[in-house]
Amino acid sequence: MSHPRNPLLLALTLVALVLLTGCGGAVGSADPAGSGAGASGEVAVAPSLSEVEPAEDPRAFTGPVTAGVDGSDLDPVTAPQPALPATVRDAQGTEVVVDDVSRVLALDIHGTLARTVAELGMAESLVGRDISTQFEQAADLPLVTGNGHELSAEAILELDPTLIITDTSLGPWDVVLQMRDAGIPVVVVDSTRSLGNVEEITTMVAEALGVPAAGAELNTRVSAEIEEVLGHIEAIAPAEETDRLRTVVLYVRGNAGVYYLFGEGSGADDLIDAVGAYDVAEEIGWSGMRPVTAEGLVAAQPELVVMMTKGLESAGGVDGLLERLPALAQTPAGQNRRFVDMDDSVLLGYGPGTADVLNALAVAVHAPQALEAQGDGA
Amino acid sequence: MSVSLPLPPSAASRSLVLGVLSAALLLALVVAAGAGQLDIPASEVVGSVLHRLGLDVGSLPTHPQGEATLWQVRFPRLGMAVLVGASLGAAGALMQGVFGNPLAEPGVVGVSAGAALAAAAVIVFDVAVLGQWTIAGAAFVGGLVTTVAVYLLSRDAGRTEVVTLVLTGIAINAVAGAALAFLMFLGDTQAREEIVFWQLGSLNGSRTEHLAVTLPLTLVGLVAAIALARQLDLLALGDRAARHVGVDVERLRLTSIVVVALLTASAVAFAGIIAFVGLIVPHLMRMVVGPGHRSLVPASALGGAVLLVLADLWARTAIDYADLPIGMLTSLVGGPVFFWLLRRARRTAGGWA
Repeated sequence: MSHPRNPLLLALTLVALVLLTGCGGAVGSADPAGSGAGASGEVAVAPSLSEVEPAEDPRAFTGPVTAGVDGSDLDPVTAPQPALPATVRDAQGTEVVVDDVSRVLALDIHGTLARTVAELGMAESLVGRDISTQFEQAADLPLVTGNGHELSAEAILELDPTLIITDTSLGPWDVVLQMRDAGIPVVVVDSTRSLGNVEEITTMVAEALGVPAAGAELNTRVSAEIEEVLGHIEAIAPAEETDRLRTVVLYVRGNAGVYYLFGEGSGADDLIDAVGAYDVAEEIGWSGMRPVTAEGLVAAQPELVVMMTKGLESAGGVDGLLERLPALAQTPAGQNRRFVDMDDSVLLGYGPGTADVLNALAVAVHAPQALEAQGDGA
Repeated sequence: MSVSLPLPPSAASRSLVLGVLSAALLLALVVAAGAGQLDIPASEVVGSVLHRLGLDVGSLPTHPQGEATLWQVRFPRLGMAVLVGASLGAAGALMQGVFGNPLAEPGVVGVSAGAALAAAAVIVFDVAVLGQWTIAGAAFVGGLVTTVAVYLLSRDAGRTEVVTLVLTGIAINAVAGAALAFLMFLGDTQAREEIVFWQLGSLNGSRTEHLAVTLPLTLVGLVAAIALARQLDLLALGDRAARHVGVDVERLRLTSIVVVALLTASAVAFAGIIAFVGLIVPHLMRMVVGPGHRSLVPASALGGAVLLVLADLWARTAIDYADLPIGMLTSLVGGPVFFWLLRRARRTAGGWA
């Protein structure tokens, strides 16, 4: 009777191994805040809204476009001199004293903080990165987030950072506390990203680095850029709300039927309002980021769907998505294949790149033909 | 396990087995202490420990954060692995004894589900009454409350039937599962991710403070479990026989359930759900030391600790910079092993009824 036992055991072991390696692979790729640089490298950057001709009727346009943003396009403040020690009261009210900014880790789900550090002229100090940080000077730094957003304590300590700037979007929170236990100053910034707190976050990062003047300089520049783009948008966006495109931002991953609608407080609400589109999620009182039903989508009747590039890819592109989500095909956006995709890490990241994101998205909404022509040329 | 009579314990063989298990645990700890993402040679690990013990021997870690890594990250994590493994192993042995049912596992009576539900609730509703201890505290209370609820619900006219108890546990588990799904729907992305990771179990982020909270709970639980062992041996004769020899069966059951809840809830509170340890380890130990609880309970505690230290070593070193969920690993290995045990029992003993 012992004969059949061994093949059985062998088979079970094999299954276990296959499952394990399978999981290992999936863990690496199932990453909501995606690694977007691959896509943005191939995609042409959207032209400035002021240089394109707005479409006569943006509703009449059909077909998907990609709103390209160059995440590597940095314009850092020149050679700031850190004044140390710097004392910061962080977003949680913790008093943090920073003595040394020679080895900095700036980590969050969107890569906004590392980008801010680089824009402040301190890119040289960065010693590691999160998965969303892909700009040129940082792309080769070691990753400290293993499974997408999970912090690894030993990986962080191995880099011997003298300052960690992060928020609560990466976890487990206990790892952040371990870093404090190990004597490393940890500055925690607000984890929400919206048009309203770009300046606040930049200021806090600059203070933590001991370069408040560079922070002020960067803030002046970024708000001027945002004002300029908002001015362009105002000039061409329909004045009447009813004339604006009914827009939703959808989060879709893979084929498992995961589709979430971004609502109030997710950062997507600000984005839709700022680019002069009509926020359907606000109309139906949707908040946060929650799964939406197929019928809910039909009832919402969006005319334009904004998605993350990798998310759209993982669902099999526009065709795959419409096939899998027949409800979407019943909306004006689905009938016109009016989809706009943007790099996963920048779409809701805000930070110093906010103006570029608003611009690219506004072009995709109001002058999509400009992006389409660009796509043909590439 | 058709109730087999405990063999007369031979003191020599018992201490031999426990000695071997202790040595295995020590060895596992040494290996695990020397391995990790941050590369610290074994000699420096030993040097660091000796320095803390006041012996100025050996070299300290050369990496600037080596010392901090060992004492703030790696050692607390190893300590938690030992405590959690020992708790789950002992709780499993105790539970199988008190139910007279080899399928009994802390998860079965709803401790894990109740703890998970309470933890998820405070994550989703963003409660922070106990500051950073809120989630762990909620999990602990949730586990205890659920266990007591299952026990009371399955009790009728001063008696508890094992089958009713197990089935009530299943019903409670189903309800808790539904509530958990609803909480995941309510929560935002971050809360959902936290819940998922919590459910998969992980020792990532274990801190000295966690250790300080868990250690006394585990010790109390283990001492109580070992103290109950003799009575559990008598219970193995059957309820009636046990009553005849003077065991207060109802009280024994109730005490055991509370001890199981204490052990499991303290394990689950910081580490999340780590499945199968409580099921597999007692079975394996029973093959070595026999069904007598005076050997089985301590052996299961030691065996659970060894298993978890090794599983966690695997979880944190298998993929660079990443932590695998340890609950996934234990289930992945535990499931097939359990299946093998089932087949084996059918062949050798005609199976479990």
